[in-house]
Amino acid sequence: MADYTAVKTFDYKGLPCPMPIVKMSQEISRIAVGEVGEVLSTDPGSIADFPAWAKTTGHQVLDIVQEPGLIKIYVKRVK
Amino acid sequence: MDLQQQYELEKLFKTKLHQAMRFYLETCTHCGLCVDSCHVYNSMPELRYTAVGRSEVVRKIFIKYFKMQGKIAPWLGETMEMDEFVLDKFYEAAFSCTGCRRCMVHCPFGIDTQQIMSIAKLLLVGADKEPKILSMLSDMSINKGEQVEESRAQYAEAIKNIEPEVEAIWPTPPGKKTIPLEVEHADVLYVALSGKHSIISAAAIFNAADINWTLSSFEAVNFGAFLGDPQRTKKIGNRIIAEATRLKVKTVAIVECGTAFRIMKQQFGKLPFEVVTFVELIAKYHQEGKIKLNKVMTEKVTYHDPCQIARNAGVYEAPRYILNQLSDDFVDMIPNREENWCCGGGGGLVAAGDFEFRMKSSKVKADQMKKTGATVVATACENCHSQLHDVCGYYNTNQHVEFISHLAAQGLAK
Amino acid sequence: MALLSMLSMIPFALNAATAETLAADAAQVVDAVAEASVVAEPTGFGIVLDKIEYFILIPWVYLSIAFMIFGIIYRLVSIYRAPKTPFSLKIYSSKKESPLSAWNDTFMLPQVRRNKPFFWISLMIFHISGVLLILGHLDILPTISILSEDSKHMIGAGLVGVGFTLPLFHFLFRRFKTPIREITVPADFLLIVLVLFLALFGDMISWGNSWTANGFITTKQKFAEYFQALATFNFENPRYYIWSPHYHFLVIHVALANLFFMLVPFSKIVHAFFAMPINKLRRK
Ligand code: HEM
Ligand code: SF4
Ligand code: SF4
Repeated sequence: MADYTAVKTFDYKGLPCPMPIVKMSQEISRIAVGEVGEVLSTDPGSIADFPAWAKTTGHQVLDIVQEPGLIKIYVKRVK
Repeated sequence: MDLQQQYELEKLFKTKLHQAMRFYLETCTHCGLCVDSCHVYNSMPELRYTAVGRSEVVRKIFIKYFKMQGKIAPWLGETMEMDEFVLDKFYEAAFSCTGCRRCMVHCPFGIDTQQIMSIAKLLLVGADKEPKILSMLSDMSINKGEQVEESRAQYAEAIKNIEPEVEAIWPTPPGKKTIPLEVEHADVLYVALSGKHSIISAAAIFNAADINWTLSSFEAVNFGAFLGDPQRTKKIGNRIIAEATRLKVKTVAIVECGTAFRIMKQQFGKLPFEVVTFVELIAKYHQEGKIKLNKVMTEKVTYHDPCQIARNAGVYEAPRYILNQLSDDFVDMIPNREENWCCGGGGGLVAAGDFEFRMKSSKVKADQMKKTGATVVATACENCHSQLHDVCGYYNTNQHVEFISHLAAQGLAK
Repeated sequence: MALLSMLSMIPFALNAATAETLAADAAQVVDAVAEASVVAEPTGFGIVLDKIEYFILIPWVYLSIAFMIFGIIYRLVSIYRAPKTPFSLKIYSSKKESPLSAWNDTFMLPQVRRNKPFFWISLMIFHISGVLLILGHLDILPTISILSEDSKHMIGAGLVGVGFTLPLFHFLFRRFKTPIREITVPADFLLIVLVLFLALFGDMISWGNSWTANGFITTKQKFAEYFQALATFNFENPRYYIWSPHYHFLVIHVALANLFFMLVPFSKIVHAFFAMPINKLRRK
């Protein structure tokens, strides 16, 4: 399934609104274009937020994996 | 700046000139009574951080382009030409103002600096000079509205995953969902934020009161309002209005978020449902005997009136009522209610502002909180919560900030 | 209201005193003073000056008042023709609100009273005096009698003028202090200076006029002739019926008043007309 490996983990667990998206926008530049980052979140809202963010900024959400109490979002830097 | 762009900006300015705005721009007597109202000026006494100093920047452009005085004797009002320098001034004015409207209480005419700043913000958007993070967040919200169906199943799973945390606070009434989604004809549509903390306490309280409620798929906050773009503000709010209308709910309860509440309550005209802030519901459920609250708080507690919930939307007593149910040791800040100092994080500053500025401009807030002697600062707004949390840390006030809903959920009793 | 009736008592009191001490022939003395200044026919430069003074005292008064009225209507209409504000801009008060709250805000300035009491007192004295001055001027017309027609003073016997003038000094001087200094634009200074000179010349007419060794130079009854002439549009040269050594000061006073009238709609004095509607926005 996973034909990618995350090079970096972004831990956005328990952050207030709208920090996960704000931080993601700033910190996406910490990985290179084409690389994939793993976002850890506890916000149910992230499920729709990150794809909408990706559409807005031109990046890509590859996958969202849910475990009890944790959401992992795989984001690819496109630009 | 070329003439074409000046002309475009002038056109944009004109879209803002409704009756109230004309009064606001044409009445100021430069009396300076609003100077001491602003928390930013009180923390950093510079003219550009006063209400009148901010609106003058916009007013000078207004007189220059829309008034005879600006054409025949511009020097009378020291008007300015629209150029890059002015846009920088607009930025400085608009994004150092939290839109708290405390100055409006003190102005003998009630001039609304937030409204005047909305012109500056719109022109910045028009000139592509707005804080990019705010336009990005606004567009994200709008895109989310368009593709919400695609993530519905995964969202339901995420919601399911947090249900145990709700049950840990309060057992779900028999035959009910812990966190109901997409319930038609629900009594209450609860619009939360992305974070689970904004859902869990509320869900427990709804279940304790045994309410027929449903959770919205959207976040309540309206970044379009922070950005100052009326079109995007409309689109973002309309997502929720469409959802509420589709589900035919009676009441839309907005999470503890000031901007979301005020925009929905005041700026969308008449709606086919009632708009309340969640803290009003908690107080109401308690008054109706639907929930019981124990005095579980042992620390001294005070309350921060979020500007957009209190002064600008009229909710003063509900949160105080709840705190008095939870504690024997509640003290008001001085000043309070419509005179309360802004937290310093409104108007998009928490998302887009510079941290140092946010902290320095909140010195009066820190002093005011410290003076209460309370160790818990309760509030009813996500934005205020984030800001006050930072302020308490920065100024070492030894206080912690809590949401009313969170405190109430902990005090729930059989 | 209490203040108003107190002020209007003063001239009565003064009148009574004058009447007692100077007895019946006081009126004759006054008349003698007025009569004594013989109206000389102007010659040379005096002819030009007379023409200018006539223009100031009669036609310009009409023009400036008409200009003011049209100007105010124009400003109000241009605002009310703008699109309606589509949302509420209310500030919620934690105290009980009544339909009269906006009136209270507009005329009592409760927030100013609480936050800047000294400035509030100045503002109140200034504005109440301003209203009394308007009434006082109207009262000069023989058809309007707030004070008895044979009172020699205007309402307040000069005190209203002082009440109007002293706060203006306060308004002026506070503009030199930070932070008011920085928010002041040239128009603010010019307006205060204009109003201040207008007031000072008015004070001169009321105080200088009545404090001469011989009593009044020009009485209210004399001014009434001028006002009556204005009200009946008879276009006679006032020089011939209200001449006195103070005539030129009167002309300067009227010239400043004309300027003031013309500025009312196009300076920040429009706040007089906007204060009520704008205050309502905060309450509804
Ligand atoms: C009868 C109608 C009014 C007239 C003719 C009038 C006239 C004036 C004038 C000539 C000034 C001095 C301007 C200056 O200081 O530069 C002034 C100042 C002021 N007026 Fe009025 N006014 C009127 C009504 C009002 C009302 C209803 C309010 C209440 C909201 C108000 C509030 C003020 C304030 C706050 C100032 C201070 C301006 C400063 O600091 O310079 N006025 N007014
Ligand atoms: S709205 Fe608030 S932050 Fe803005 S100028 Fe007024 S007091 Fe200051
Ligand atoms: S208090 Fe009102 S009228 Fe006075 S300077 Fe401030 S905005 Fe202008």
